[in-house]
Amino acid sequence: MRVNPDPYPDLLAAVATTQQRINTDEEEIASGQSVNVPSDNPAAAAVLVQDAGQTSQADQFQRSIGSVQGEMQNADSALDSVTTALQQAITLGVEGANGTVNSADRAALTTQVQGIQSQLLSLANLTYQGNYVFAGTATQTAPYVLDPSSPSGVTYAGNSGVNSVTLGNEFSLQTNLPGSQLFSASGTDMFQSLQNLINGLESGTGIGTAVTELGNSLNSIDTQRVFYGNALNQLNTQQTYLSSETTQLAQQQTTVGGADLTAVISNLTSSQASLQATLEAIGQTAQIDLFDYLK
Amino acid sequence: MSSLNASLSSALSGLIAEQGALEATTNNVANVNTPGYSREQPVLVASDPVVLDPLTFGTGVTLQSVESIRDPILESQIQQQTQGQGQFSALASALQQTQGNFTTSSSDVGTEISNFFDSINQLSTNPSDVSLRQGVLTAAGNLATSFNTTANNLTQQQSSLDLSVVQTVGQINQLTAQIAQLNGQIGNLQNVGENAGTFVDQRQQAIDQLSSLVDVSVIPTDNTLTLTTANGAPLVAGQQSFQLQTQTSPLGLHDVYSQRNDITSQITSGQLGGTLQARDQEIPAIQTQLDTLAAGLANSVNAVQAGGFDLKGNAGTNLFNPPPVGITGAAASLSVAITDPSLIAASSDGSAGSNGNAEAMYALNSQPVINGQNPTDYYSGIVFNVGNDVANASAEQSASALILQQLNDQRSSVSGVSLDEEAANMVKYQDAYAASAQVITTINDMMYTVVNMSTLTG
Repeated sequence: MRVNPDPYPDLLAAVATTQQRINTDEEEIASGQSVNVPSDNPAAAAVLVQDAGQTSQADQFQRSIGSVQGEMQNADSALDSVTTALQQAITLGVEGANGTVNSADRAALTTQVQGIQSQLLSLANLTYQGNYVFAGTATQTAPYVLDPSSPSGVTYAGNSGVNSVTLGNEFSLQTNLPGSQLFSASGTDMFQSLQNLINGLESGTGIGTAVTELGNSLNSIDTQRVFYGNALNQLNTQQTYLSSETTQLAQQQTTVGGADLTAVISNLTSSQASLQATLEAIGQTAQIDLFDYLK
Repeated sequence: MSSLNASLSSALSGLIAEQGALEATTNNVANVNTPGYSREQPVLVASDPVVLDPLTFGTGVTLQSVESIRDPILESQIQQQTQGQGQFSALASALQQTQGNFTTSSSDVGTEISNFFDSINQLSTNPSDVSLRQGVLTAAGNLATSFNTTANNLTQQQSSLDLSVVQTVGQINQLTAQIAQLNGQIGNLQNVGENAGTFVDQRQQAIDQLSSLVDVSVIPTDNTLTLTTANGAPLVAGQQSFQLQTQTSPLGLHDVYSQRNDITSQITSGQLGGTLQARDQEIPAIQTQLDTLAAGLANSVNAVQAGGFDLKGNAGTNLFNPPPVGITGAAASLSVAITDPSLIAASSDGSAGSNGNAEAMYALNSQPVINGQNPTDYYSGIVFNVGNDVANASAEQSASALILQQLNDQRSSVSGVSLDEEAANMVKYQDAYAASAQVITTINDMMYTVVNMSTLTG
């Protein structure tokens, strides 16, 4: 068979192919990524899109947890103050129930209990970032207002709505307790008990009953406060989980789309050697043909 | 009876023939780097003998013709492969541009979908907060812009491919005119028995170029060629070429016409075929997927909006302007319907502090709202499809380039000029020429002897 007398197109094609490989390798080294455009590895590119979506989501969950934590910590510490105030009121009530106190003493006690009433009112109307925390979902208006015509001395203007926030895949957390459940549940109504104590101190009768009622209210709030403690614990756990998820996602991103630098650099070196060899071959093939030997 | 004169004429024929053969070699050497040139081979034949009973005498040599060496089957394989090569390289380069839109960046559609849902999740932690509501509106606006930009880029790319269709048709017409003209020149030479090798080479070169542009069928007829597209639309018949025309379609793109017939969808190969495939199939398919995603998102978000209450306790209204019916153009026209952040219907009970509906909207993120897939998964499917199309077209292109290279090697091994061979031929012809010249010298001496004989006798 006749030999192809013109090796140049093949040699040049080989040079172009090698050059192309070198370019790809250099791009990988520069970006640290093996998937720079979807066609580099379509399946990996699709996985990376999902990975990026999940990473963005996890980062957002962390931010949202931060916001929710702030609100719930505030609510929790407000409830701590509420229980302290109620204990104080109970102490005052026990003092007032003692048969040795006279009406002047009771009037002084009344004033103190009224002070506690307004303190509790202010705690129940706690705001966080412009929202009334214990108002259910009616967060834009103060849930408790003084109302002398009401038997408990206050009226509840909030609602019984609760919010849950999604803070992870398959993880959603209730973030509030409405005042109607926390403070004003029938039977353990904190403001009613307090008003009863004030009435008792004023009249001198029923103080003991009022103290018992206050005790019930205190227990109820203490019990319900566990909700916030638990939630804050869950938030901590979720934070830890999310940061490990983020790490895993980052690892996956590297595994799927990261450049294997050792391999790439070794490829690059061998491509460069092959390019050099091809170019040398071209240089040498060039010169000789029979015409050179004819005299 | 033989004569010295007869011998002289035989020797002379040798001189002439070898000189002619050397000319072929010279021409080969001169064209060693001419693209598409097929080496020429002198065809030497012994001249008809003279019969003088009982003897037969040769009368020398004739240079019958100079033949161009080529393999027609190889040529037609090269044409086929060139068509494929033209098609896949046009397709691959078009799609490579397309995939730029689907490469992860700070503002690609996938990222903006994430940002949009992230902003809703943030709003859910404090649904009455106006700045968080504004954050959702901004993210929705960015999402719409990203859809718009991507869709517009695709449309722009389609227009530039359309321009390339028109240009390619122009090139095709030029080449077919050139081939028709060459057909004429070849016919004229062949009619008078001349070697038309150079023109045949030029025509072959033009047909190869034409093959890279469009799917050509070559039908050889007496002394000439007829060219059609693979589907039979005429391009060249003998000395006549048939121009292809372009005409604007209702979609604003150019269709290709032959003899008043729309042949756009029949062109499947060559650069024109690849360009049309990208313009009429690949890009519209991506546009449809993008429209499906945009329309699905807009409709599902709007539906959730309608089920909730805004900051003032009113029933929610559309967040996105409703996508067009039939979804075509949904991505290009996606836009946010509201500018007042309080109109986001985050509340499920009418209270400002309720986040129930924001949660419902966030849940769309993981619900099969786009053809049975969640938005991010659907988008990753688009990325996969685009990447896969590019990868396939590039692979086909590389494969056909390799085959084409091998075929060209084969053609070169048949038709290419080898300087070694030409040098050897040159020596061969030169030697033969010298030998013939030596014969003439010898006959001359013999003539001299004969002429002087009379002087001796006289």
